[in-house]
Parts: sequence; C-alpha cells; structure tokens
Amino acid sequence: MAAEKNASTRGATTRPGFEAPGFADYLILGNSAAGVTAAERIRQADPNGSIVIASPEPHAAYGRPLISYLIEGKTSEERIGYKNARFYERLGVTALLGPGFDAVSLDAAAHECAFSGGARIRYGKCLVATGSVPFTPPIEGLAGRANVCTFMTLDDARCACRLAAQARERAAAEGRESHAVVIGAGLIGLKAAEALSSKVDRITVLELAGRILPAVLDDEAAALLQRYLADHRIECRPGVSAQQVLGEGDEATGALLTDGSRIDCDFIVAAVGVRPNTGFVVEAGAEQGRGLVCGPDLQTSLPDVYAAGDVVQVRDALDGSLRPLALWPNAVAQGRIAGAHMAGAANAPTFEGSFAVNAVDFFDASLLTAGIINPSEDSGCEVRVQRDEEAGSYAKLVVRNGALAGYILLNRPERAGVLTSLIASGAPLSQLQGGLEALAEPCNLDFPVEERWTRLHCGYPAGLDRRGWKR
Amino acid sequence: MKRIYALEAWCVGCKRCEVACKTFHSRSKDAVTAFLHEQPTPRARVRVEGDLMLSAAVNCRHCDEPKCVEGCISGAMRKDPVTGVVTCDQSKCVGCRTCMSMCPYGCVSVQDAGGRLAAFKCDLCGDGAGTAGEPSCVAACPNRALIYVESEGCEDGR
Repeated sequence: MAAEKNASTRGATTRPGFEAPGFADYLILGNSAAGVTAAERIRQADPNGSIVIASPEPHAAYGRPLISYLIEGKTSEERIGYKNARFYERLGVTALLGPGFDAVSLDAAAHECAFSGGARIRYGKCLVATGSVPFTPPIEGLAGRANVCTFMTLDDARCACRLAAQARERAAAEGRESHAVVIGAGLIGLKAAEALSSKVDRITVLELAGRILPAVLDDEAAALLQRYLADHRIECRPGVSAQQVLGEGDEATGALLTDGSRIDCDFIVAAVGVRPNTGFVVEAGAEQGRGLVCGPDLQTSLPDVYAAGDVVQVRDALDGSLRPLALWPNAVAQGRIAGAHMAGAANAPTFEGSFAVNAVDFFDASLLTAGIINPSEDSGCEVRVQRDEEAGSYAKLVVRNGALAGYILLNRPERAGVLTSLIASGAPLSQLQGGLEALAEPCNLDFPVEERWTRLHCGYPAGLDRRGWKR
Repeated sequence: MKRIYALEAWCVGCKRCEVACKTFHSRSKDAVTAFLHEQPTPRARVRVEGDLMLSAAVNCRHCDEPKCVEGCISGAMRKDPVTGVVTCDQSKCVGCRTCMSMCPYGCVSVQDAGGRLAAFKCDLCGDGAGTAGEPSCVAACPNRALIYVESEGCEDGR
C-alpha cells in the first residue's frame, strides 16, 4: 500500500524500513502530470492491477510550473499539490518517492527496471514519464558552483530562494544592490526572473537569441514584453549570453559576456533549455529522435514500454516538425492516452500529434500563444496584427489556407480558447460571421448555425427540439 | 449529468441570467449590492453573446474531457468524478490563464478575486456551488431560453 499520507508536498516520502514491491502490473516512472494522469486512467480501466509510481523527487505530485508563483507568495507548499489529499491511497497506488527511486536502467526483455537506490522492480507494462531535465551547454566556469541553480523543481525553487536571501543579506551588508543573473530568456528563465524580482534588487536575463522568448514570440511582442519587464527591474539582454562564468572556488561572482562586457552577480539561475530525461530508456534500446519515438498508442519501440509527456517526440500537427512538446496540457493528454492503452481499455484513443499552446503571465501582463507564430516568408501565411497601445495589447493572428494557424495574444486573453479550437479544427474562417474580423472578438455566435448548435449542445436530449419542446 | 442548454430561439438578450449568476455568487445575495458595492466584485460566469437580433447565454459545457482541467497547472480545475461538475478551487488557482487558452467556448475567465487573480467559471450552482438543483441562471430566465435537462453524454471535450 502507498506510503503516501497526503498529497500536499509534506510527508510524501516512503517510510523507513519500507520495502519496494518486486513486481507491478503497471510501473510508472515519473510522478508529475503525465504519470499521475496515466495512473488515474489505468485505475479506471483496471480496478485490480497493481500500480507503482516511482520518482526521485520526495514530494507528492505538485504543479511544477507553480514554483515561480510559490516564490512570489501567490501559492504555498500546502496548496501546490496537484491532486487531492490521499490521492495515492485512494487510487491504490504504491508511491515510491525519494532519491533512491531514480530509474537507472531498463531491461525490456526481462521487463525489469533498476533504481538508483538498488531496488529492482519487474513490471507488466512500464510508462516512461520522467519529464525534462535542464540542459546547459558547456559554459566555462559554470559547473561546480554552489550559487548556481536550475529552475525546474520544488527543490530548485527552495535553492533559488535561499540564494536570493543570502544575496540580499550580503548586498545589504556591503551597501549595494543585490543582483541575480538568469541565463536563458525562455519561459522558465523569465518566470524565474519574475519570481526572484520580489527577492533581489536587480535581475539581468541573458539570451543568446535575438529576442526574449524566442520560441513563442515575434520581435515586436518580445520588444513590448522586454520593456514591460524592465519596469519591474528585470533587464533582458537578447543577443548576449555568458561566455565564461567568473568566480572563486565554488562561488560564481560574475560573468564575461559574449559582447565582451563583464557583469558582477550574487548568484546565477541556469535556464538555457531542457531535454527529455530518457537516457536509461535509450540505453535499453528505445528508438529516440528528438524524444522517444512512439506509435499512436504511445508505445515506444520497446515492447510494453510506453511514454508520455515531455519525453515523447511529437509530430506538430501544424508544421509537421518532430520534437518534444514539453507542456503541461500535452503531458496530461498523453498520460491519459498511454494509460488507456496500457490497461487495454476499450476504445482507447490514439495520439495524433498536437501543437503548442502556451499561457504565461508576468506581473499583470498576460501572454497566450499557440501554433505557428513566426511563419516564414514563403509559407503563404497571412498575418494580421492588432495593437492597442493604451491597453498595452498586441494580437497577432496567423492564417494559412483560410484557416487559423497560430496566434500571439499579449494582454488580450478573452476567449482565446475559441481561437485555439479554430486552430485545432482547421475550420475555414470564411464560414465565420464577420470572417477574419470576427477573430478580434471571438465568440460562439460567429459560427454558422449548425456548427454552433453542435458546439454548444453536446449531449442535448434527442427527445427535445431546438426550442426545448418535446418532439 | 444534467446540463444547461441555451436556446437561441427564445433568448432576447435581457441578461437576467448574468444578473442572477452574479447575485448568486455574491456574498450579499442582493443584486444591487452585488453590482454597486460589494468588494471583491462578484463575477457572472454566464455571458450573453450577440445582440437584439440573435443572442444566446453561453456558459461552461462541463465537458466529459474538459480542456480546462487538462491544461490546469495547479490542480485547481477539477471535474468531479461523481457529479461531473467542473469547478475551480480558487484557493489553488494562480491565475495563469491556461484554462482561458484551452476552453473552446471561452467560458473561463481570469479576473481579480480580491487582490489576486483566479479563474471564474460556471459551477452549475443549483442549491449551492457544485450541487444538484436548478442553477440560478436557468431559474431567472423569463423565456425558457436556458433549460437544465439530463444530457445524453458528450463524446469528447469539444
């Protein structure tokens, strides 16, 4: 039975003397969005099979992207539990959570997984839901510093907080401003910067690419957001990265930048990028492209080994590119699909590719992006931009072959999901009342009468007509 | 589960559903107080779209596989496995707006919930939030343009 007492992040480690089971019908490696969603789905289809969830993190599943909100005080460790209290017990899942439960090797033929603490568990079906790990290209002098952290996990957040507190204390004693450097202006780096801006005086964010959030913004929106962040004492420096980290012993004290200049800092957050945490699966012989190659049932090339979440190579439904889609909703959707197939559920849906939808907020600014946002010149895409300087909003819509293919919505979030659904369905925009203009204020009544009836009346009783009268 | 359905044939866009929703979700339970005085401002979760020629009161479909729940990074958005009602636990919500980017009907909004942002959506209020009974928007509709009837199962999260 689970050693789990509640789903808050406290008390979630295994009891001393607890012995890991030697066999599980379903062995789930990873205890975040994909893993716990798969466990729920498996239990739905198989009430009796034994389920083990193993993860090196000693916490019950928590909203991983919430760590920046945690630092800002917008949530607490008691509230970031992803599932209700007693989730594991209620589901009859054995949760093996702690440093000893990092999967280190997999023997697909023997159906056995070995863990860092020495435990070996044989399985019927195995799910690899081990997520992403930070990836930092080699920067001279970065490794081995005690005041450098990444920003992926709850423990990272605690570490960043501690470094910030030390920085503030020391800076105050020396009568100067405390200063943190974040390497990488992607979503993780900028959320780290936002969170830490409440803890230190000044933050510099370095980004090798020519704009901040290079993957989810265009130049104009990036410039707008960069100015906005500057008002909050976050200085972004696109086009500049760290060439060498300077310091003494295990302490980083500054960096030499690629433009030749030098900055001092109290600590560094490395948020350059992530890569799928799949080393042991690849060693076991699984085919890997930019992530694990999976069939439509999310089974890897190894029999009875499935994958879900950040580790899976996804075919982008819009541009056909192959890459991992390291986003929370994707992990949940894939966890549900993989779980259904693992448990042999009837009518288990297949995974047919997806596209990126990002939602992120910085202070009072909201940013939603989806699909193709920087179409190439020759892609035949039509781009429409609406700006409202007073509201500080910027909306960019990308239309391809008469259908919506992507958007950037800065400070204009209302009913963005209607646009997301238009991207997903590929519905011709010409059918909308008001055509392209309707996209400015998307609403359900813009759809043609039959379409909107179908959209809004899912499950409508067959015995009633459209006036609500009995037929 | 029982769901609310909007009938365009009868909707005249009077927005009494919005008033009833906002009032139900106020502390005072009084429309005038809710609209003019109460802080934090109570929010209506149903929204009348359209104009005098064509209108409909759109609210959450309580999808079988809700996109808002799929996307929720905090575990605040949840579909009750027994009642099927999709609700947001505002104490857990951090206002990231992923739900807004996911809901195909535009039925979640993130607004000020008293000094912090949180998602607001229909809780199929009935006798209390998330309980069975006649939701207040349905009860308030003078034209039966909102009906609350047993649904016959949504196939997907559309």
